[in-house]
Amino acid sequence: MPKNLQSIIDDLRNLGTPDEFLSGRDRILEELTRVNSDYEKLNFKYERSSKEKNILSSLLTRTSADLKKVSDNLKIRAEELSTILTTIPAYVYFKDVNLNYILVNQSYAELTGLPVDRITGRSLVDIFSNYKSTAYLETEHNVIASGKEDYNIEEEIEFNGRARWVSTNLAPIRNPAGKIIGLIGISWDITERKHYESELKRAKELAEAGTMAKNEFIASISHEFRTPMNGILGLSEILKNTPLDEGQADLLKGIVSSAENLLVLVNDLLDFSAIEAGKMELDFHPFILDRVLEDVFQMMNLKAKEKSLDFSVFISEDVPKHLIGDSQRLRQIIINLAGNAVKFTDKGRIEIHIHLLKSTVDNALLRFEVIDTGIGIPPEAKDSLFKVFSRVKQNQSKLIVGSGLGLSICKKLTDLLSGEIGVESVQGKGSTFWFNLPFDLTGIKILPGEKTENTEVKLYTGMKVLVAEDNLINQKIVSFQLKRLGFEVDLVDNGQLALEKFYSCNYNIVILDIQMPVMDGYEVAKAIRVYEAGTGNHVPVIALTANAMKGDRELYLAAGMDGYVSKPFTSETLLSAIIQAETLAARKGV
Amino acid sequence: MQVKTFSSDSLKGFIQAWEENISDGFKPNATVIFASVDLDIAGISSFLKNKEVKIFGSSSCGEFLYDKAGKSITEGGLVCSMLSLEEGTFDLKMFSGKGIDSFNLGKTAARWAVQTFKKPAILVVASGLSTDGEQLVRGIQDVAGNDITMYGGLAGDDAHFNETFVFSDSAPDPQGAILMALDTSVYEINGIATSGWVSIGADKIVTRAEGNIVYTIDNQPALDVYKMYLNVRDEDLPEIGIEYPLLVRKQDESFVLRAVLNVDRKKKALIFAGTVPQGAVVTFSSSPGFEIIESTRKEVREFYNDNPKTDLLILFSCMARHNALGPTISEEIDEVWEKWSKPLIGFFTYGEIGNNYKASCDFYNQTFTLVSIKQK
Repeated sequence: MPKNLQSIIDDLRNLGTPDEFLSGRDRILEELTRVNSDYEKLNFKYERSSKEKNILSSLLTRTSADLKKVSDNLKIRAEELSTILTTIPAYVYFKDVNLNYILVNQSYAELTGLPVDRITGRSLVDIFSNYKSTAYLETEHNVIASGKEDYNIEEEIEFNGRARWVSTNLAPIRNPAGKIIGLIGISWDITERKHYESELKRAKELAEAGTMAKNEFIASISHEFRTPMNGILGLSEILKNTPLDEGQADLLKGIVSSAENLLVLVNDLLDFSAIEAGKMELDFHPFILDRVLEDVFQMMNLKAKEKSLDFSVFISEDVPKHLIGDSQRLRQIIINLAGNAVKFTDKGRIEIHIHLLKSTVDNALLRFEVIDTGIGIPPEAKDSLFKVFSRVKQNQSKLIVGSGLGLSICKKLTDLLSGEIGVESVQGKGSTFWFNLPFDLTGIKILPGEKTENTEVKLYTGMKVLVAEDNLINQKIVSFQLKRLGFEVDLVDNGQLALEKFYSCNYNIVILDIQMPVMDGYEVAKAIRVYEAGTGNHVPVIALTANAMKGDRELYLAAGMDGYVSKPFTSETLLSAIIQAETLAARKGV
Repeated sequence: MQVKTFSSDSLKGFIQAWEENISDGFKPNATVIFASVDLDIAGISSFLKNKEVKIFGSSSCGEFLYDKAGKSITEGGLVCSMLSLEEGTFDLKMFSGKGIDSFNLGKTAARWAVQTFKKPAILVVASGLSTDGEQLVRGIQDVAGNDITMYGGLAGDDAHFNETFVFSDSAPDPQGAILMALDTSVYEINGIATSGWVSIGADKIVTRAEGNIVYTIDNQPALDVYKMYLNVRDEDLPEIGIEYPLLVRKQDESFVLRAVLNVDRKKKALIFAGTVPQGAVVTFSSSPGFEIIESTRKEVREFYNDNPKTDLLILFSCMARHNALGPTISEEIDEVWEKWSKPLIGFFTYGEIGNNYKASCDFYNQTFTLVSIKQK
């Protein structure tokens, strides 16, 4: 009973007379109203509590059931995780932020040779006493500090006296609030993989060495080819200048043609191996485009005529005459494409068109098109056309002759020259091979003596040349060619003799074979330059070489030579080399 | 700012009291009226129609008035506050929610408010059963900015959960909202929002929801889950739903309570007073023990210490508090009168809107949301 209700009862008991009763009534009513209000509140609280109790106990029961379910699921998850940890063929460990082990799997324990309970709570150095490196611990620290995973950490460590390679993935572990509370490390034994990797590496090195050897073999074999080729071509040229009857002239023509074909093959092989070996070097210099095209015309027109084909060259008027670029490679690409055109065209014509695609003050982009009316190319062959050893099969009966390297070399050359190449063709109607090349136009200066129109003129009458060459056939050829130019020729067959001759006589020019007995061409050239030192003299020295690999040029120049001629050579190339060497030597002399 | 207040239990009584209050020449230009749906609300509107008084009216789920005449907490009655405000310092407009969602209703209303005053504070009432209170708040904030000062409540209907109204001088609107815009260079408006409800049970995930309708919780029909966990009978819903809201956790570890306003028995879905996003982590919540009265009183005292002066106090108290605290609800309201002794008018709501101190405005359930209006 509420305390104030007792006081009301007491009050009521004390009410005596009706007057006293009336005077106390209002106070008692007020008290009763308040008591009633308190009662109502209490009653509400009681009822409310009963209702709440019902709802809360239901919530509690359900929540307990939920928790049990969650707990059961957690047990299952824990069991699954434990099974994974036991069966996974990896070393798994968990560490706290101080990098002490919290948990490791059985594999890890076996690796350490310690029971699991002796690992937990301890650190890496406690477990692996031989482990001295701090790098790994630093990596783990970084994972904790940065919160970033670190994968594929490889290191070689020693377990039970055996060196093993392991690869480890590290990842931070976070609590539900996202705070980093440790890390997990999973390591795999990759000793076997490392073993295979090193074997693979060795195999790769062997393969690379093999490729290198192959390239060297090709270079050296083509060198060996060139010397006899020089003989055949040179002697043929001499023979051509002797009286021959018609039958003999025909036979000679056959010999020359076969030799030239063979030379193209050898040159292709050389170029290809140079490109493959990354040794193809470009020689950018000023040149006159017309001259290049005249060469091409002279060479290809002859071949076209043999097949009764029309051959013509068209140059748009806006194409610049003077360009800077590698004219030799340009010539090579055009000749290659034009040669193919002739080869695959039986009737009709071959045309070469040159247009200006765009130009600025400093450079020009030219488009070259070689158009034929030949057999064309089947669409399916277009994609592989510029690949190595790709030869279009027209039909079973007609196998096309060639190395299969020509277009591939053109492609690689245009790539090297920052250009592009392509083909459009209609089978049976003809093909248009095109390529676009950029050329420099800045500060063009044309070297003097660009071309000697008439090679029969004896330009060098009264001039003395010293030739050192050990091969008798080559001696004959070179001296024949030099004499035609008007030179007085002194021949020696080794470097030592050449040097002695040089000391005793005055020569206008010296031509040295590179590979000679006793003293090679380089040594002779160097000795000549030493001899000349301080005199202001600089006699032009030209290398005569079968070493056609690019990069050799620098060797010749470094030895003090002024030019070189690759065997086999024609009178024209020899003359051209002499002119260029003289120009260069004139600059070097005083 | 002058304020007169009265309560009544009929249209007749209302008219009589109004006339009495203006007999001394008092000219109110605004009025705040919270009235039971059982009264002739349309009659009140039409009586005031030509009186040049702007009406801020809402149906209630119980209403209360504390003034010098006494303390009244009633059901089925009305409370009225007659205000004489300086012209040009306030304005009021009713917006129909017909054909637009709550977000766009909020945007439309806020556009008017920001055009009315450069820096308005807003009092808002909206029809409780047709409005997603959270979307209404977001819509207003979308236009007026997150730092807008805004207090209000969702209209009730004496726990019938049938139809709720807001009313002005036109016909009562079961889908509308009324905004009163106050010029903050003239009025100082502050308030608190406190609930006391606590989380209970394990976290659950809302697995399918659209707006304020929740279809599944932990992949089970939401209605089934609710009934099973709280052990409530079908016929207790939706009435009991407002007392046992879901506690929706926010990413910043704070939470809001979302009361169940209705159920869709066919789809076994729960319809809440505000948005409950799909994927939200929720728990059930328990109505607090009677001890929360003391914590509310404490918050009121702290609020008083910071804002000891006021002209008018409006309280939007959730009807669920009334259900949970019963007759003891007066103890927490009493504290307001005891501190300020200034007119306090309010009603039991189906949802509350407010800034808890300077925090940005939010939509609540189960709260005691008190706002103080004072002319500077």
